[in-house]
Amino acid sequence: MSSTVEQAYLDAFAGLTPEGEPAWLTARRKAARGIFEKTGFPHRRVEAWKYTDLRRMLAKDGYVPAVPYEGPLAYDVETVGPAATAFGAIERHRLICVNGFYRPDLSGAALPDGVSVKPLSEAVKEEGFEALLGADELLYPLNALNTALMQDGLVIRIGKGVKLDQPLHLVHVTTSAGASAAHMRHVLQLEEGAKAVFFETHMGQGGEGYLANHVMETALGEGAELTHIKLQDEAKDALHIAAHRLALGANAQYYGFTLTLGARLSRHETEIRFDGEGAHADAHAAIALSGSQLGDVTTYVDHAVPGCTSNAHIKSVLDGEATGVFQGKVLVAEDAQKTDGRQLSNALILSRDASMNAKPELEIYADDVQCAHGSTIGELDDDALFYLRSRGIDEETARTLLIRAFLEEVLETIPLEDAKADVERLTIGWFAGTDVMEVEG
Amino acid sequence: MLEIKNLHVEVDGKEILKGIDLSVGKGEVHAIMGPNGSGKSTLSYVLSGRAGYEITKGEVLYKGQNLFDMEVEERAAAGVFLAFQYPIEIPGVTTMTFLKTALNAQRKARGEDELDAVKFLRLVREKAAPLNITDEMLKRPLNVGFSGGEKKRAEILQMALLEPGLAVLDETDSGLDIDALKVVSDGVNALRSPDRSMIVITHYQRLLNHIVPDKVHVLSKGRIQRTGGKELALELEESGYAEFAEA
Repeated sequence: MSSTVEQAYLDAFAGLTPEGEPAWLTARRKAARGIFEKTGFPHRRVEAWKYTDLRRMLAKDGYVPAVPYEGPLAYDVETVGPAATAFGAIERHRLICVNGFYRPDLSGAALPDGVSVKPLSEAVKEEGFEALLGADELLYPLNALNTALMQDGLVIRIGKGVKLDQPLHLVHVTTSAGASAAHMRHVLQLEEGAKAVFFETHMGQGGEGYLANHVMETALGEGAELTHIKLQDEAKDALHIAAHRLALGANAQYYGFTLTLGARLSRHETEIRFDGEGAHADAHAAIALSGSQLGDVTTYVDHAVPGCTSNAHIKSVLDGEATGVFQGKVLVAEDAQKTDGRQLSNALILSRDASMNAKPELEIYADDVQCAHGSTIGELDDDALFYLRSRGIDEETARTLLIRAFLEEVLETIPLEDAKADVERLTIGWFAGTDVMEVEG
Repeated sequence: MLEIKNLHVEVDGKEILKGIDLSVGKGEVHAIMGPNGSGKSTLSYVLSGRAGYEITKGEVLYKGQNLFDMEVEERAAAGVFLAFQYPIEIPGVTTMTFLKTALNAQRKARGEDELDAVKFLRLVREKAAPLNITDEMLKRPLNVGFSGGEKKRAEILQMALLEPGLAVLDETDSGLDIDALKVVSDGVNALRSPDRSMIVITHYQRLLNHIVPDKVHVLSKGRIQRTGGKELALELEESGYAEFAEA
């Protein structure tokens, strides 16, 4: 049930949705708004948000809608932290969004062949677009809020058989703009046999505690392959709520990796639905938090058809009073035989006041499946620390080596060397005073 | 080189070492033998500074410095090396990265220049070859999936690289077959030098056929019960430790 917090929030956005929208969208927004008014911001008594009390976090703050930023783009390590340089050494096509609005003028000029990128406001006017916006989004309060209030986003289509020779890099920057809220909606479509690498970065200037509520809907056609690496390094006082909903056709391949470093509260939700047989999805994540940050990685994998495989491995390192959350659910339908669904959460707790909540779940209705789930929560291994120190490595460096080693198991799944190196660099930057040497050869 | 004086050590309130006196001269190799539970491993851990051991009395001087005033890593940089009975597996850290980090940390602590990647690689290959340690093994995570023999050879490689002044070998022969024992012993013998002292801790005499000690001490019930030359080890092989267990 919503309260004045929700009403104030909705009121702030009154009249801001783009004009001239098709009737179906107006109706969809209205339905979504109705749902959000009923559910309100999720809180700890909502099972799916048990560990991530968003309402409590929002109750203190009033939000104003983010406004388009028209000026020249000035984001660098100084203003938004090291994520500004992520993937900088890789030839890529950048698509830049500032304060929740796409800035084509700042983005790369010529798109690679076979790719189309349109702003949401244009795409919604196209015939048949209605079907691309998932109808079951309304099950999720934040998704409903996004549908009700979304102002901009990107609709990216990669044509049949097109194999992109350059990654697409979707950059989100929030400039210092008060306690603003933005609701971006992206749609990513890879047609049959298409192949793409997709980078996503999120960063911003702190000070006022902005809110980013992103929804991305991805459809992979038969045999399509998507490698998706997301770096979330929002300002330390920001809120970041993102949902990525994917539908995979037969034999499609998805590799997803999310690094969570920023925001005082964040949630990355991945929902994977298998629509065709023989597909595979990885939804890996690393979380490295300190202070009083909370980072939530939630995955739902719906094995609706037979013969698909999925794997989610989440590694969390928590210092200070930080909280990590992993919720994972693998659902295997009655006729989804030969499913292989795995999920594993490993957390490393570095301080007495840090905590981890892990809830992997399996719901299996088929009988010929291989599913596994597990969760570990531990501290740095004293024996290993002693071993390293007994060789002359100081305690700080020894700890760093062990933390890196812990994360390495999931970082090493990143299939692109350059991208992996960048993710490692950002992760290492998270540790203070590291003095670890690398050896080639 | 090493002076242990009236060392008393407790673990969880229980006295394990009950007054050890031991003096190891420069370049000497001493063997410490004894039955299980006699305090052999405790002694090795206390020397290297592992947590969980309470020193209730006594002192240990290494090159005149009180070891108990030094952190674990400081002892290592000063030249104290423990070859572990059970080397720890560390997934995610390659053996190479570990070796380089350790060597350069010690060099830095001693005010020496750190080795660059090229020099380090040359050095590590030179030290690894006689121990039959391949590049492939060096690229693997530290001790992960290593056989018993590989782990012990890796320990000796660390010793060869770090060039300690005092090496404590804790049951280095455990888990080794005859061939592996020979490789490891040859590795240790190659590191014997007038500047390096060693304490070889073992349950069995067979290791001492390969690494011939200058002195043999029998440790039992937390005390050194007897000290002799290398022939004492042979005598123990005959008679066992029963005599000392009753002492």
